[in-house]
Amino acid sequence: MIRKTPRKGTWLAATVLASGSLFATALPAYAEAGVSAREIKLGITLPLTGAASPGYNKIGNAMNAYFKYVNDNGGVYGRKITLIQKNDEYSPQLAIAKTNELILKDKVFALVGPLGTATYTAVHKSVNLAKRGVPSLFLNTGFSGFSDKKSYPTSFMILSSYAMEAKIVAQFLKDNHAGKKLGLVYQNDEFGIDAITAFKAAGTKFDVTVPYTSGSQSAATAQTWVSQLAAGGAQVVVFFGVTSATAPLLAVSAAAKYAPQWILGSVGSDPLTLRALGVPVAVLNGAQTPAGNPSPNDTSDEYVKQFQEINTKYNDAPFDDYVLQGMNLGLMTVQALRAAGSNPTRKGLIRAMESKGSSFASVAYSPLGYSKTSNVGHTGYYMAVMDANGDRKPFGGTVKLYTTDSGSGPVVLSTFKRPAMPAKGLPSNS
Amino acid sequence: MRKKIILFILLGWLLLVIGDRVDELRVYQGAQIAMYTIALASIVLLTGYSGQVSLGNGAMMAVGGYAAALTLNNLGSPVWFAFLMAIFFSALFGALLGTAAARLSGPYLAGTTLALAVGLPAIANQFSFLGGEPGIFFDVGLPPQRLGQEFTQYKWFFWIATLIALLALFITSNILQSRFGRTWRAIRSNPLATELSGIHSSQMKILAFTISSALAGLAGAVLAMTISLVAPGAYTLTLSFALVTGAVLAGVSSLPGVVLGALILVAIPEIADALANRLGGGENVSSYLPGLIVSILLILSVIFTPNGPGENLHRHHRKKA
Repeated sequence: MIRKTPRKGTWLAATVLASGSLFATALPAYAEAGVSAREIKLGITLPLTGAASPGYNKIGNAMNAYFKYVNDNGGVYGRKITLIQKNDEYSPQLAIAKTNELILKDKVFALVGPLGTATYTAVHKSVNLAKRGVPSLFLNTGFSGFSDKKSYPTSFMILSSYAMEAKIVAQFLKDNHAGKKLGLVYQNDEFGIDAITAFKAAGTKFDVTVPYTSGSQSAATAQTWVSQLAAGGAQVVVFFGVTSATAPLLAVSAAAKYAPQWILGSVGSDPLTLRALGVPVAVLNGAQTPAGNPSPNDTSDEYVKQFQEINTKYNDAPFDDYVLQGMNLGLMTVQALRAAGSNPTRKGLIRAMESKGSSFASVAYSPLGYSKTSNVGHTGYYMAVMDANGDRKPFGGTVKLYTTDSGSGPVVLSTFKRPAMPAKGLPSNS
Repeated sequence: MRKKIILFILLGWLLLVIGDRVDELRVYQGAQIAMYTIALASIVLLTGYSGQVSLGNGAMMAVGGYAAALTLNNLGSPVWFAFLMAIFFSALFGALLGTAAARLSGPYLAGTTLALAVGLPAIANQFSFLGGEPGIFFDVGLPPQRLGQEFTQYKWFFWIATLIALLALFITSNILQSRFGRTWRAIRSNPLATELSGIHSSQMKILAFTISSALAGLAGAVLAMTISLVAPGAYTLTLSFALVTGAVLAGVSSLPGVVLGALILVAIPEIADALANRLGGGENVSSYLPGLIVSILLILSVIFTPNGPGENLHRHHRKKA
């Protein structure tokens, strides 16, 4: 049947319907977003589902567990912390949408620990965090581009950058694997490119390089990586990618009986997650890795011991590198909020990070680089080796911390002593 | 015609006034409603009028989004030119596809366009100039300074999206009321009789595909503007299905209904969030709920109101009259 053309009144009704619904749900203005007399609302975007989620999906719950512990012990100047987690599936487009929800709908005070290089790059540009003055603390990415304070005035890193990591690995290769054929598998976005640039600057030449696209990692694609590495005769393989890519790489290599000396980047080397993803522990035995934190099994470490206790009581998840990282993000967030004072503002929080952030207690061994002109987080790594139990021990038996920058600065053996864990894991700084 | 122009100008004025009164979230959602409105209009024209079922409108949106971003980034052109290029390239792509699609109908056409929706955005991963999975930025710039400090980026997006949506709807409405619209409706109702009347139905179907693709491409560019990004993840199969659902719910041959459809599509994530909070499933549940809601609405609509609730309401209204 041929229908008549729409009446003009229908157009008006349709538009009034759309606009009326906008009006009906409009919210009132606020004084300082996310802060009330009893609560401070914070937000995080991270992949809770999808290919890149293994491991990362534990961070938010670990942070929440630490915040619950702090809340049960009086909160921050009497305010309870609420953390809202949003699943971005490691997709830039979703990260933008979810960050918008956090800022515009949930009205969080600040973002804490947003995860991923490509996702955060997109979020920062699209959501305009700097112009809005939204603090974005402790980015869960080591992309050195985020250390540009002029472009990212409200963002603060926490991880040592991928460039720093690559420089320290380059030094390690020179000292311990000279003359061997070198292979490199890397994620071909800013994550891997950051490392490649630093390797080039350090003069490291790889005989085989295998890039992979984020999201493409699978057993099938890992077959092609391993074929290329084996065909090129790589004896030492450096890996710069996420855990969901490390797992198929190691599993496929083991099945193909290809056993180079693995040097696994800090991002994709959590033994517990790798084992959960089907990597035989025998493959991990002897793998070398740059590390910033102590092993999550090292109960002689005061931070690890305290966090394990909190995890047992509030989280009930297997305690691994990701849980340790999540707890530490919580610890640093509480110190930042305390440093911002009893009536925190977004501007005050940023000022507190700049003026007091470098003295915060953190589980990582290296110094923090925060200042008025720098938003650099940690600044170094030590080399570790995995044992037959999949545990991580310092290479050579003791922690030898190397510090450097993301530029042309030298790699230096450091004597830095990290601050002590606050009593009972509860910061009292101001 | 003059009355219609005045009506659209009044609608535009009303929307801009409202944009000034609501908070940033609603302004942002308003821009999304405008984007979906254009995208749904492309389905109404193609499916509701010319009778061609396409499940690949998300892919057409991707063509428009990438065309606009590449134009803006590589030529440094004005924003309006980037939107024009989005229209041009998606229309060109639609004409090519329409030429092939004119030989297909029913499930074969739906299957072909479905394959396009799955495959086309993924192609971006294969070419570095398309930015891979992270995509490429599409930055239309800050609002003009004369609009004042309080004038936010999202309000600027809302203004642009609303203007484009109103223009697109005005032009589409005129096309549908012209001899082209009447011919498409005739082809949809009785293709054989139309051919016997001396109308070249294949050419008319290609024309419908071309104009529909141009609209979808324009919507893709508006989507890219609202998130400042063009990436494969923005033009997924889920988007294509959501658009079909929105069009069916709005009444697939009702152009004013697209506003209602767009409103529903923007409201679904909000409803999912509220449901997830009530069910206590948190973010894990709310990630999956929008897709589930879209699927359920589509199934229910096809079972109970095959032409969509909007169409039924319209018919009820006509009977009463």
